[in-house]
Amino acid sequence: MIEVRDLVKVFDTRGQVVRAVDHVSTNVAKGEVLVVLGPSGSGKSTFLRCLNGLESFDEGTVSIDGLQLVDPKTDVNAYRREVGMVFQHFNLFPHMTVLENLCLAQKVVRKRGKQEREAKARMLLEKVGIGQKANEFPSRLSGGQQQRVAIARALAMDPKVMLFDEPTSALDPEMVGEVLDVMKTLAVEGMTMVCVTHEMGFAREVADRVLFFDHGKLLEDSPPEQFFTAPKDLRAQAFLRQVL
Amino acid sequence: MIKHKKAQWPWHGLTALVLIGLACSLYFATSMISYEWRWNRVPQYFAYHAEEAHRAAGYGKVEAITRQGDLASVTLRDEDGGEQVLEVDHDSLQLAKGDDVAEGDLIGVTRHWAAGPLAWGLWTTVWISLASGVLGLLIGLVAGLCRLSNNPTLRDLSTVYVELVRGTPLLVQIFIFYFFIGTVLNLSREFAGVAALALFTGAYVAEIVRAGVQSIARGQGEAARSLGLSAGQSMRHVVLPQAFKRVLPPLAGQFISLVKDTSLVSVIAITELTKSGREAITTSFSTFEIWFCVAGLYLLINLPLSHFASRLERRLAQSD
Repeated sequence: MIEVRDLVKVFDTRGQVVRAVDHVSTNVAKGEVLVVLGPSGSGKSTFLRCLNGLESFDEGTVSIDGLQLVDPKTDVNAYRREVGMVFQHFNLFPHMTVLENLCLAQKVVRKRGKQEREAKARMLLEKVGIGQKANEFPSRLSGGQQQRVAIARALAMDPKVMLFDEPTSALDPEMVGEVLDVMKTLAVEGMTMVCVTHEMGFAREVADRVLFFDHGKLLEDSPPEQFFTAPKDLRAQAFLRQVL
Repeated sequence: MIKHKKAQWPWHGLTALVLIGLACSLYFATSMISYEWRWNRVPQYFAYHAEEAHRAAGYGKVEAITRQGDLASVTLRDEDGGEQVLEVDHDSLQLAKGDDVAEGDLIGVTRHWAAGPLAWGLWTTVWISLASGVLGLLIGLVAGLCRLSNNPTLRDLSTVYVELVRGTPLLVQIFIFYFFIGTVLNLSREFAGVAALALFTGAYVAEIVRAGVQSIARGQGEAARSLGLSAGQSMRHVVLPQAFKRVLPPLAGQFISLVKDTSLVSVIAITELTKSGREAITTSFSTFEIWFCVAGLYLLINLPLSHFASRLERRLAQSD
């Protein structure tokens, strides 16, 4: 479903060249859940952002269902419609109610009628467990609730793939569970997901594959039971010693 | 430390005392220079009772006078038997029945209320402010977005515009617009004045818009783009509404400034509030009174404007 070939992203800050993503290739099959792990600054978030073109890259190709991201013929907005993204800091639109947050892109991008988009929004809010907050502004919600709204907002576009960029890192500990539960439900329902996270429990339980990044390189790509018990790479071993 | 809630009204009372003291010392100061206050001369510059004279068209006699309320209807019969009927105010009637009249003789007058120079000046200031404000907002929005554009030409041009306009005095810009551009393109003085004010305001609004858009967290635009919105849609639906809320106070300040800056177009002989004030002084000699009135009239425009802005600000703050 997702095909990444030789992806390279270079950051050039005042002559200091950093390869944030260094020749990474991988495939994600339909319905697969990938968890991307790695120390901070390893390039895992940059890799994720390259998958929907929020970050431009210097070499390589990314495609979803054969739709090439770098192809000049591809409408990047049409591409992004198929890829939902959830951010560390939720990035809900603060000037809109929860319902309006879920309806904006449905209206502007998908051109759905009022009844259709509101029915879809309410159904999704129900699904993530905050149906009664539809008319609240995001500032009135807890972090966990905001992140669940953000997930529902991405789902409202009926994406083929969901990308999660450290969705629980900005949350108070007691709210992490409610967000992870929603993500687990999605995984069970067969959503294709790529998650950058530090939640090892989630990785172990839900992931089909674990990708380990360091210094922009994809060092390990293996099923979670193998990764957590017998990592091949030395740096992965060191990383696991630190976090577990 | 526990903060006790203290009554606020004694302090407001003190404020009132200070203001009254200032007013008294102002009055005392003017009595020192033996200025004679003649406020009664002022109202006629707002509105006055205009008189329109009615005159006989030819030689003849007053044939009949019929009274209808305050009006008198005068029928004249000239030598050829022609009839002329005039309606005049009864108390201004100069003739009685049977009097002879010659061509051009005053039969009487009618009176009606007319707006005085200060009222016309106020109106001119209001429409010039409104026109240049709306235009300035549009120019500023476009120029501000150009400054954030990825296209170097748009970026450079808008930067040149902003720097040129902010770096030169408005008075000089008005002269250039009227005497140079106005002559070349054959513009009316009002057009030149409004254009100069709009371009001047636009440059400041552009900077306000740019700062407002840049103050919105990058994640907002990214979230919108990740949902498939185009750059323009993301700007329109997500970034600009939030930026607008944030720049409302400086924007209101800019428009209040604009209202006051319209006084500068008096130099190209547009009779707005300040110029009509000056003209009123040349005929009334009530310098102090007229200038106080002119200041009061500017306040009359600006106080509601700032009240409206702070109400809008409160309304938009709902979602915080």
